[in-house]
Formats: sequence, C-alpha cells, structure tokens
Amino acid sequence: MRISTLAYSIKQGIKNIFRNRFFSLASIGTIAACIFLLGIFYSIVTNFTHIVEQAEDQVSVTVFFNEGITQEQIDAIGADIRAQKAVGEVSFTSAEEAWEQFKADYFAKNPELAEGFSSNPLAKSASYTVQVKDVEKQSELVAHIEGLDGVRQVNYSARTANTLSDVGRLAGYISVAIIAVLLGVGIFLISNTIVVGISVRKEEINIMKYIGATDFFVRAPFVVEGLLIGLVGATIPLVAIYYLYSEIISYVMKQFSGLTNIVSFLPVGTIFQVLLPLGLGVGAGIGLVGSIMSIRKHLKV
Amino acid sequence: MIELRDVSKSYQQGAPAINHINLKIEKGEFVFIVGNSGSGKSTMIKLLMKELDPTAGKIVINGQDLSTLKRRRIPKLRRMIGVVFQDFRLLKDRSVYDNIAFAEKVVGASSRTIRRRVPQMLNLVGLSEKYRSFPKELSGGEQQRVAIARALVNNPSILLADEPTGNLDPKNSWEIMKLLEEVNRRGTTVLVVTHNREIVDAMQKRVVTMNKGIIVSDEQKGGHYYADKYVSL
Repeated sequence: MRISTLAYSIKQGIKNIFRNRFFSLASIGTIAACIFLLGIFYSIVTNFTHIVEQAEDQVSVTVFFNEGITQEQIDAIGADIRAQKAVGEVSFTSAEEAWEQFKADYFAKNPELAEGFSSNPLAKSASYTVQVKDVEKQSELVAHIEGLDGVRQVNYSARTANTLSDVGRLAGYISVAIIAVLLGVGIFLISNTIVVGISVRKEEINIMKYIGATDFFVRAPFVVEGLLIGLVGATIPLVAIYYLYSEIISYVMKQFSGLTNIVSFLPVGTIFQVLLPLGLGVGAGIGLVGSIMSIRKHLKV
Repeated sequence: MIELRDVSKSYQQGAPAINHINLKIEKGEFVFIVGNSGSGKSTMIKLLMKELDPTAGKIVINGQDLSTLKRRRIPKLRRMIGVVFQDFRLLKDRSVYDNIAFAEKVVGASSRTIRRRVPQMLNLVGLSEKYRSFPKELSGGEQQRVAIARALVNNPSILLADEPTGNLDPKNSWEIMKLLEEVNRRGTTVLVVTHNREIVDAMQKRVVTMNKGIIVSDEQKGGHYYADKYVSL
C-alpha cells in the first residue's frame, strides 16, 4: 500500500466521522459506556480477586495428631499433605515449639508462672499448619486430611472460604453478561453509523468503482472510521476511570477506615497495566467488527 | 481493441437484452453506438465494464478475455477504460481540480504525477482558468469537460461516453463532440453511445445501430439515416 493511499484513507475516515456527526457521537457514546462498565467491572473484579487472595493467604488448616504418634508417622502425613494440589506452604510446629509460643504469648510478663509446669502441657499439640492456595478446594482438602491415619483433628474456617469464592464467581458472571450485551450494542451502532456513511457516499463510491478503485481503496476509509470511533470511544472512559479510580479508593478508605487493616486495594497503575490495552483493544475491536460487517454487506465493488 | 464474439446477455425475465452480438472495434477507432431504449446499449456498456457477465460468448478488451478476469483484477480493466456519463457524476463537494485529481488518487498515483497530469488535462479540455470552481458554478458543458478530463487523466486506451450530450444544448454538445474527436485524434479509442442524430449524421464516423439486442447495421462513415427504420427518435 502506498503512503498516499494510507493518508487518503485516514483523511477520508476522519471526514466521514464529522460528516456523520450524530451517528458518530451515538456510537462513541455507546462504546464509551461499554468500556466504562468494562473498566469498572474489571477494577472491581481484580480488586475483589486481590482481596480474596489476601484472605486466602490467611486461610489455613491446622492438623493435629493422635496421641502416641511416632515422628515417622507425622512425616508420612506431612508428605501426603504436601502432595495435594491445593496446598501451599506446610509448616510443622512441634509440641515444644507450641509451648514456647504459648509461653511467649501469654506468660511473657510473668515467666515464673510458666515455671510451674513440670512437663509440657501441650504435649499433644504438635501440628501442621497448612496454607490453602485455592479456597474453593478447602473442604475437599479437609476431608482428605481427616481421612489420613493418625490425624486426630482438623481445624478450619469453612464459612469464609465458601462465601468468598461464591461472591467472586457471581460478580464475574454478571460483569461478563453485561459487557457482552454492551459489546453487541456497540457493534450494532457502529455498523449502523458506517451504513449511513456508505449511503451518504453512494455516488462517490460508484464513481470510484468506474474509475477503477480497488476494493481496498473503497473500503479502507470506512474501516478507519470504525477504528477511530472505537478508539475514541475507549479513550474517554479510560481517562475518566484513571482519575476516578484513585478518588473512589481514597473515599472508600476514608469512609470505612475499619477496612484499612483488613483489605488493601490495588494501585491504579496495576489496574491499567491490563485495563489500558484491554479497553483500547476492545474499542478497536468493536470498531473493526462493526465496520467490516457493514462493508461486507453494503460495499460490493 | 474491443471484440465481442457471439455475446448474449439475458436477465431473469423477458427477452435477452443482448442476443448473439459480434462486434470488433480496432484501436484508435471512433464509433457511435445508436439505438432506442431497450436496444441493449446500456447492457453492452455494463458488459464492457464487467459490471455484468455475459450469459454466453466472449468479450476481449486489449487482449484480456473478460470471462477469465478475476474479480480482484476488475479495477485493472476499468483503468483501461475511461467513462463519461450523461449526468456527469462529478463530486459536488470538490473543486474541478480535486475532481480530476481524485481519479488519480484512486489509482494510487503519486502527488508529483497528480500535480503534473491534472493541469495537462485541464488544458486539454480548456478549463485551466476554472480549476478552483465547484461543479455547481459550471455550465453543463463545462461539467462534462471536467468529467472527460477525469476519465482521461489516467491515460486509458478506451474512452466510453454514455449519452455525453444528453443533458446539453446543441452548442455545448458540439463542443463536447469536438473534444472527443480531439481525444480520438491523440490515439484513444472512443465509443459514444448517443441519441443525437444531428451529431451522428454530421460527424461521419462509424455507426453501429442496435435494436432489441442485435446489431442491425454497422456503417463506416455512416449517417444516422439507416437507423431511422428501427429507431424512433
């Protein structure tokens, strides 16, 4: 392709957008709404996942053993647990360590009280602390560990795990559905805009065909038009989200200062590492698909 | 060179628009094609531009068999044929200069070529002073000259004029014909489809008369008189 042809296509594409202001604006508006919602949902879902992940880090299962268990048996249980997929770190706390920890926690100010114990009162409290990587798999894992020989008790917090994963999944489904609908509307509006553009320029296109314009030459301005509408439609909400995001996060943190200790939100930069290319890509994609659809239908050269 | 060998074109309904036509036009000829509406002239133009494909027969233009021409290559064919229409078909939002330059942009000419060729064409059609005017500021005759300049700017070997004087008064019609004759004198094959009896009679060129899809006469240096038997004007 010649540079002059490229320049021509871009110039005509931009001209089309202005010639056809009303429809262009409607399309840009719809795409902007689509990308805006996409951005919002993306921000919420990513932050949610982030928070869930933080919570998951804290989700752990403690495994206690039967009395009189040998160290070999404990090692065997440990090896079995480590072999499970959903398991992250596994740490062993011996009865002595448990007692030391207990003393440090509760008798730090009165060490003499601890002296009163002649033997380790927590002799039966050797345990594994098992980090669960995937909250959803927790109950499965617990059932498995409980079935192991030599395991006396498994402590875990069932409710947190299930609720967190359910809410996460629901938010994901809803956002995917809404974004899909908006994508459809966006494509429909762009393709309408292009159809109007084509009908306005029927005469010119007809002349071009007689002069010997290639399909590419006739079509390129409309593809450029769709692409530009898509990109402009994506840029506006991305800029808006960039500024809104930090505002909203700091507002939430201020209003619910109790949250500060429990959750932390992702910085805007991290969100935009994915959201920027995603938003521009979706915008450009809507534009391309919309314009190519109309061109296919209405521009038989 | 244009050659039609036993060409027929039928539409879904009615009699064939073109019925077993044989016609040979040599390079550099000036040919009038006359006939009343429904005679098959318009269909023939569409066949030559490969807007339509014949139902039977073979069309060869400058050695290219149109039936084997791939869809993708149609623009190449159309660049060999300049077309002029009764209603001029200029772009109303562009100046005379831009209308002609547009034809060159379409075929991907460099801006240097455009700057060189457009003034040459304007000079040929005698509109050098009006290059900045818009079509609505021009008379019909002037608009048709712009259309001719546009058709010729890419140096086609054939110029196809479909009722070029249909919307013009006699004076302007004559000027357009003189211009077409000049274009022909410079080596371009010129095909003129027309109703204008006076002009056809006076120009003493080859006249192909069509009626109901067949060629009823083909006269070198013909007048229009022979066609009167078939064509009501």
